Amino acid sequence: MKKLDVITVEVIKNGVNAAAREMATTLVRTAYNPLLYEVQDFGLAILSPQAKTWAEAPGMTVFVGALPQTVETGIGIYGLDGFEEGDVLIANDPYTTGNHISDVSIYMPIFFEGQLLAFAASTAHWADIAGKTPGGWCSDSVDVYQEGICYTHEKLVSAGKKNDALWSIIRNNTRYPAVVLGDMQAQIAACRQGAGRIQTYCRKYGVEAVTAAMNMAIDNADRYMRQQIAAIPDGTYGAELTMDHDGVAVNERFTVALQLTVAGDTIKVSFDGASPVRSGPVNCPEYAVRSVVRAAIKGALCPQSASNEGDFIAIEFDLPKGLVVSPERPAPVDSYGYVANAAYELTMKSLAQAIPDKCVAGCATLTMPTIARVNPRDGTPFILADPIDVGNGARPYCDGPTMAINVMGDVPNSPVEVVEMRYPLRVEQFALKTDSSGHGRYRGGAGVYRDYRILEEGISLHTAFENTFDSIAKGTDGGYEGMPAQVVANPDTLDEYVIKDRGNLPFRLKAGDVISMRSGGGGGWGVPATRDPNQVVADVRDDRVSVDLARDIYRVAIDVSAGEPVLMVEETGKLRA
Amino acid sequence: MSEMFSNRYRVAIDVGGTFVDFVLLDEETGAITLEKQPSTPERIVDEVGAGLGRLPVRLSEVGRIFHGTTVALNTIVQEKGVKVGLLTTKGFRDVLEIGRGSRPEIYNPRYQAPHCLVPRHLRREIPGRLSASGEEVRPLELAGIDKEVEYLLEQHCEAVAICFLNSYANNQHEALAAERIRSRYPDLALAVSSELANEWREFERISTTVLNAYVQPPFKGYIESLTERLREDGYASPLALMQSNGGASEASAAASTPIKTLESGPAGGVIGACVIANAIDKKNLICFDVGGTTVDVALIERGEVVERSQTTISGRPVMGPTIDISSVGAGGGSIAWINELGVLQVGPHSAGAFPGPACFGKGGTQPTVTDCHLLLGRLDADKFLGSRMKLDVDAATAALNKVAESLGLSLQQAAHGALKIAETNMANAVRAITIERGLDPRDYALFSYGGGGGLFAAAVSEELGVNTVVVPRAPANFSAWGIVVSDYREDNSHTMVRPFVAGAFDEIVKTIKQLEQTNTDRLKQHGFTDDRIQPHIRAEIRFAGQEYTVAVPVEEQWLGNTGIFLNQVRRRFVDLHCRMYGHGDINAPLELVTLRLRSIGKVQRPALSLWPEGESSRPDSIRNTYFAASGEFTEIPVFDRDDMARNQSVDGPAIVEEWTTTTVIPPGWRCVVDPMGNLILTKHS
Repeated sequence: MKKLDVITVEVIKNGVNAAAREMATTLVRTAYNPLLYEVQDFGLAILSPQAKTWAEAPGMTVFVGALPQTVETGIGIYGLDGFEEGDVLIANDPYTTGNHISDVSIYMPIFFEGQLLAFAASTAHWADIAGKTPGGWCSDSVDVYQEGICYTHEKLVSAGKKNDALWSIIRNNTRYPAVVLGDMQAQIAACRQGAGRIQTYCRKYGVEAVTAAMNMAIDNADRYMRQQIAAIPDGTYGAELTMDHDGVAVNERFTVALQLTVAGDTIKVSFDGASPVRSGPVNCPEYAVRSVVRAAIKGALCPQSASNEGDFIAIEFDLPKGLVVSPERPAPVDSYGYVANAAYELTMKSLAQAIPDKCVAGCATLTMPTIARVNPRDGTPFILADPIDVGNGARPYCDGPTMAINVMGDVPNSPVEVVEMRYPLRVEQFALKTDSSGHGRYRGGAGVYRDYRILEEGISLHTAFENTFDSIAKGTDGGYEGMPAQVVANPDTLDEYVIKDRGNLPFRLKAGDVISMRSGGGGGWGVPATRDPNQVVADVRDDRVSVDLARDIYRVAIDVSAGEPVLMVEETGKLRA
Repeated sequence: MSEMFSNRYRVAIDVGGTFVDFVLLDEETGAITLEKQPSTPERIVDEVGAGLGRLPVRLSEVGRIFHGTTVALNTIVQEKGVKVGLLTTKGFRDVLEIGRGSRPEIYNPRYQAPHCLVPRHLRREIPGRLSASGEEVRPLELAGIDKEVEYLLEQHCEAVAICFLNSYANNQHEALAAERIRSRYPDLALAVSSELANEWREFERISTTVLNAYVQPPFKGYIESLTERLREDGYASPLALMQSNGGASEASAAASTPIKTLESGPAGGVIGACVIANAIDKKNLICFDVGGTTVDVALIERGEVVERSQTTISGRPVMGPTIDISSVGAGGGSIAWINELGVLQVGPHSAGAFPGPACFGKGGTQPTVTDCHLLLGRLDADKFLGSRMKLDVDAATAALNKVAESLGLSLQQAAHGALKIAETNMANAVRAITIERGLDPRDYALFSYGGGGGLFAAAVSEELGVNTVVVPRAPANFSAWGIVVSDYREDNSHTMVRPFVAGAFDEIVKTIKQLEQTNTDRLKQHGFTDDRIQPHIRAEIRFAGQEYTVAVPVEEQWLGNTGIFLNQVRRRFVDLHCRMYGHGDINAPLELVTLRLRSIGKVQRPALSLWPEGESSRPDSIRNTYFAASGEFTEIPVFDRDDMARNQSVDGPAIVEEWTTTTVIPPGWRCVVDPMGNLILTKHS
């Protein structure tokens, strides 16, 4: 083969990236579960036969980052010779995919002229996987077997022939078979779409050229990442966070801790001080931990580009077994997201010690209600898992926004009108919870109120949120921390019940009840008393800050006696003197 | 037909970034006259007047003026709209600020969505609530409307947007509020969501409504002063505005819905391409419009323009049918540069009109796509723009040398490489709009226009596996020609989520009839009679449980029988779904989501004139040009397009030049002048 020129490399790389994006389009357009088509709770990638990521599509960074391990496991089981054209595999074993059991990977080998060339892989959150909690995210499982049915790289389709027995098992081991099978078909269609595009490129440029081009793209990304790391002052940076509890031993706190040691052009990640594996489902499989730490480092150092294997070669892990960040089967892992989220934030916080300009203040934690009806006797079964926007950390140069948590990547919320049309719910408000923002020169993003009125009987709720004890949304450089999340049933009534700490409602929901989800606010950046006073006036006008808070925390005196807030210049000068 | 279509002359005014293009069309002969005028944003009305004044007919002889405008688009992009107040449902004033809360750059913790156009204190909540099915849960408090509008006016808002939750299912609350405000403040600019988009998803609908309000006063002002100027100059008929859906609408009515004109400019070219597609019987076309800073691509499929039901502008969503035009930052002025990974990139930054490409000699020092074409001999330094401008080869060489040296490439290799990357970016833009729909670009011909189209068309086609290129006459003015041959279009839609079963049939038919009536009424106001109005019905259907729909064309004769209707729509849907996504169960339950009704008011199609017959012309000159296939410069013939005869055939490598465009015919391609004067390039090896 003649030597590849830089131009051809770029052409092929763009093409493979486009193929991954087309996979995402196909998945979104044909999926049945709003978590996929509205919320984009999925990850897609094209990988080499050595399970190195060539290209990926927007979606969840944690999924994309764990796909190499998923495919590597499959290769370990079958051997590179054990795949045939037309195979489709399924895996959701948390210990070989890195995610919790609801996140199901579907992947397939891509052949060209009989030769194994690459893999097209997808991970998507399934509506239900027949664990003890409808929709997954068990809060109190004690082993992985309680969390759902586990697929371990079986062939759903073998050389183009459907494995009917396995499809039947899948259909009969979920509470929502139509949705789950529809989504599975969508994942298969997405992988086929990716495979077809890669084959087109091989036809045009040849297998060797495609492989060589992607290797060069990986080398380029590696070189760039190393340049960025080399610019960070050598040293060890670290942080830790005390977590609420593991869901089973509810009176015990535990700790997530990590350190980044920067030496030359590499970063070594260690976890000294992290708690041993927990009895409840908060353990986070190590593949997911690696994935989020890498995502945070990439987020600070080269956030704009799509990733490939090269982004992560310079990041090494020292991760001994048996910790809350490296559990072993059969430890429960269904609520792994809290620790994953913590690992992301701790990485960002550690980096902020060295390169603050490239970082953001702490982001509030995942907040999500799962509202479901299982028994057809009560009405049509449904499940709504509705991750809600949270306050993101302030940036070094402006206020933080209200959006999906960092670790989630591109995850839009569900429109209220779509929720109300599909489910027996009425959303009573979807509004900024302005008092939740961490104060600062730049304020953290606000959490939100999202209140659901339950309109029918037989509906259950369970919730995901964390960090009510030690806020994850830390401020930076003198900024305050954001307020934690909260769930309130029937607010401002005699039946009001506040869930501050993670847990479930002590009563059965009935028609007419209201569930108010209140996500946390983001951390602030910089000392509040240095915020631009005119901005504070605008904050008061916009109902984001009260006159008292403006005076006490921001040290800005504002006169509202005439209706419109007016800055009292002299008084403010005195307050800030 | 009313008298306004009786005059034989038609004029298009297409306002672009650098020029206002004019096309005068004689309906009887199909003959066109071109005119150009510089485009100065502050005095567009005068520029338009001046350009019209130079046309060889008086405005009183012109039956109809069609106008493609970028006023709404530019006002939004440059954020020069007015202060807007929003009235929305209690509990939801922050929807506009929160948006969909997504992070399209998935790794970027510093990702910033576009800032909110309406500050929080100008987003006012009104008690009142409808359910998802449109039933009233709580009546609207009209007293609240009075109070809040008063507040907004005190705050100097110049426009008000109304968007209530679930108004797509029932517009009653919005209509009440609008009526109240209009009766009290008849001159206040008011945008009402249900009058703009009857579709679900509250953030997108609020965004659309707010953007409309934001540009309404300046847009209306512009239309009024233009209309007045035209009247003073003797023009007696109404002005027709080009809309994003590719159809014209009466300016007086369209002035309050500027959000429907965002793609008003580029839409003309696509409509023109559609006319040619049907005339030359090449019904699958990729519209490929290469300008100075971008390439705009769109599709004609089976003789029809491909559209989408939502788009974004500066990151803000806009609902409503629009021609699916996607723009990529790769045009003649796009800059070649080396990124932080040491890799050669082209665009999206452009040298623009000033300083422009290095070879323009206006002080540009960064190498652009145009410089690369010059250095490879595809442009003649002495004959650019009909010799109006001399290109500076030394400046282009100096600019590109810096890039070439740091890559360790020769000048030619670097120029060729930069063009190759620009071609790839263009090709990827085409792939995105084709493959996203499950369409294979190889089933299409590339229809090339805009000043830079001809330089890239064949090369991009090779990249895509496309083997036919069509270059129309006067390609640099083609968008204006497209505007002048467009029809009137009215669109109407209604989201009604229902199981697609016999029980829903009556309601579906009733809704279609209502939508059709509204459209017909509007077109009749424009002077169309029933026989000139064509309805097109689409039902957006999905498998029950899915979210995304497929738009299924519905034949009017199916509406007479429940069984036929259900079966035909089902068959067509499953067929489309299989074609697009590779699977589909013919027996699975379906759901209807949205009904769309488009009514087209047919304007008389002009005759297309024939290209002169005669002897095949000789090459005008010989030029030294570089092609990658040979890896060296070779002497190739250059033809003057105006001298070429009908059916003349030229084998590549060759170049065809005309006043504002150069068309490259690479080795392995053949160019034939078709009877209408289009250049048809085909790959034969």
